[in-house]
Amino acid sequence: MKSFLILLLIFTFNIFGADEFNCGTIECDEFKVNISNNADLQNGLSIYMNYCYGCHSLQYSRYKRVAEDLEIPIDLYVDNLIYDGSKPGELMKISLTKDDAVNWLGAYPPDLTLEARVRSPEWIYTYLRSYYSDSSRPYGVNNLVYKNVSMPHVLEDLQSSMTENEYNETISNLTNFLVYVSDPSSRERKQMGVYVLLFLLLFTSFAFLLYREYKKELK
Amino acid sequence: MLQWINSRFPITDLVERHLSKYPAPTNLNFWYLFGFLLIIVLVMQILTGLWLMMNYTNTAEEAFSSVEYIMRDVEYGWLLRYLHAAGASAFFVLIYLHMFRGMMYGSYQKPRELIWLGGWVTYVLLCAEGFTGYVLPWGQMSFWAAQVIISLLGSIPLVGEDLATWVRGDYLISGITLSRLFAFHVVLLPIMLIAVVFFHILALHEIGSNNPDGIDIKKHVDEDGVPLDSKPFYPYDITHDVYALGVFLLFFCAIVFFFPGGGGYILETVNFEPANPLSTPEHIVPSWYYTPYYAMLRAVDFSLFGLTAKFLGFVTMAAGIAIFAALPWLDRSPVKSIRYKGIYSKIFLTGFVISFFVLGYLGLVPPTEIKNILAKVFTIIYFSYFLLMPIYTRIEKCKPVPERVPA
Repeated sequence: MKSFLILLLIFTFNIFGADEFNCGTIECDEFKVNISNNADLQNGLSIYMNYCYGCHSLQYSRYKRVAEDLEIPIDLYVDNLIYDGSKPGELMKISLTKDDAVNWLGAYPPDLTLEARVRSPEWIYTYLRSYYSDSSRPYGVNNLVYKNVSMPHVLEDLQSSMTENEYNETISNLTNFLVYVSDPSSRERKQMGVYVLLFLLLFTSFAFLLYREYKKELK
Repeated sequence: MLQWINSRFPITDLVERHLSKYPAPTNLNFWYLFGFLLIIVLVMQILTGLWLMMNYTNTAEEAFSSVEYIMRDVEYGWLLRYLHAAGASAFFVLIYLHMFRGMMYGSYQKPRELIWLGGWVTYVLLCAEGFTGYVLPWGQMSFWAAQVIISLLGSIPLVGEDLATWVRGDYLISGITLSRLFAFHVVLLPIMLIAVVFFHILALHEIGSNNPDGIDIKKHVDEDGVPLDSKPFYPYDITHDVYALGVFLLFFCAIVFFFPGGGGYILETVNFEPANPLSTPEHIVPSWYYTPYYAMLRAVDFSLFGLTAKFLGFVTMAAGIAIFAALPWLDRSPVKSIRYKGIYSKIFLTGFVISFFVLGYLGLVPPTEIKNILAKVFTIIYFSYFLLMPIYTRIEKCKPVPERVPA
C-alpha cells in the first residue's frame, strides 16, 4: 500500500512536470503574474483600450465589471474608455465587422478575453516583445513567437518612445490585465479560499478529536 | 408522530438498518472511506449541476458564451463551475481508489457479485457522464474529443458509419449532437446513476461490508444476531467518515480555490477557445481519467482478420473497461483479501496498478515509436491480471484466514 502511494506521487509529479510552454520559435521569457496591483492593471487596461481594442474585442467581459474590479470611478471610465457610446453594463464588443477585417487585414482578429488562458501569460508577454523588422512581410515586421504573424506591430511607436525597461513594464501591465480579464473572479476566489481552508482546518481538527474519542471507546 | 409514520412506513427500521445501527466490521481501514466520499461528491455534482443548468444554453451558438456568462455575470457562477469541473476529476480519483480497494480485498467475491456489478455499472455510467459533460462547454477540445470518440463507432464493420451518424444526429458533430448529449448528461444518465448507486448500497447493506482481512464476520454473532466483530455505523463510522470528509475537502477546496484549472488536467487550456470545426487542435487528448484506455486504443495499430486497427483498438479499449465485470468469476481463490492470497496475486495486482498508471501517462503524451511499444506491453500486463487470474489464483499457496478479526 505504501509503495502504491509513492507510485501515485511520482506519477502525479511526472505528469504535471511534463507541462512545458513553448513560445513559437523561442523559449518563453519568464513572467511573474501579479494581478494584485490595481494601478498596474489600470495602466494595462488603458494600453489595451487605446492600442488593441480597435481590433480585439473582450466580448465576454462587461465595461462596468472591469471598472468596479479595478476601482475606476464609473464616470471617468465612461468619459475616457468607452468610445462608441455603449452603456457601462454592456459587453465589450468592437464595431469592426468580420468582412471588413478580412478585407483589410487578411484575418479576423481573435477575441482576447480568454487569451491568457488559451496561450499563457508568458506567451503574451514574450510575443509582444518579440517583433522584429522583416521587409518580406506586408507590414515590414515579423515575430519570433508567432511566425509570419498578420498583426502589424501596433505598439511600435510606444516601444520606440520608451527605454527597454519602461516597455517591458508596460507589456507586463498589459499582460497582467489580460490575465485578470481572463478570470476576473480570481482575486475574490483566492481571498475566499483562505477563509474556506481555515474553516475546514478547524472543522477537520474537531472532527478528528471526535473520531479519536469514539475510537478509544472501541478498544 | 414517529409511531404514526412507522405504522404506515417503516422509517425507524430503515434508518436503523441502513444508517445508525448498520454493523460495520471493526477492522475497516482508510480504504473504506471512499464510498462515503463518493456519495458526497455525487450530491455535490447534482446540486452544482442543477444550478449551472439554470444559466447554461445548450446550442452551438450560445453554449460557449453562456459558460463565460456563468463565470462572470452569475453570482458565484465561477464557484459552481469550478466545483463541478473539479468535482468530476475528484469523482474519478475516488472511484478508482474505491474500485482498487475492492480488488485488493476481494470485495467482488461471492456473495458480493451483485454489489460489484452495481459498482461497475456506476463506473461505466460515470464515464458516459464525464464524456457528455465534457462536450457541453463547446470549446475546441469538447468538439474534437466528441469527434474522435463518436467516430470510433464508425469503425464497427458494416453498421458503423450509420450508427455514428445516428448517434451524432448529423454527419458532423453539431449543435444537434450538443443538445442530445446535454439531455443525456442532465436527465438520463443522472437518473440511472442515482438508481444504480441506490441498488449498490441496498445490496451492500443486505450482505454486509467486506473487510481488509476478508473474514466473514456474520459467522460469529451475539444473541441479537449482531456480528461480534462489528460496531454500529453511528457513532463509530460516521465520525470516521466526517473526519475523512474534512481531509478530502481540504484538498478539494485547495484545488478549487487556488488551482481550479488543475494545470490543464481539470480544465484544458485548449478548451478556452470556442469550438471550431475548421481547425483541429495539435494534440487531441481526453480527460486524464480516460487516458489509460485511450493509450490502449492507440496501442492497437495493426489490422487482423480483415478488421481495421481502429475497430480492434476500440474493442480493446471497451474490453479494458468491461473486464472488471468478470472479476467475481475470474477469481478462484479460496480467500478474499490480498493479505492472505499468495505471491502471484500480489505480483499481478502490482502489475495491474503499474500498468494502469503507465498507460494513463502514455495516453496523455503524443505517441512515439518507443512509447507505442510500451503501451502494447502494459496493455498486455493490464489484461493478464484479469485473464490469467483463474490460473494463478488456483495454483498459488494462500495463508489461512483467521476465524475472528485479529485484535
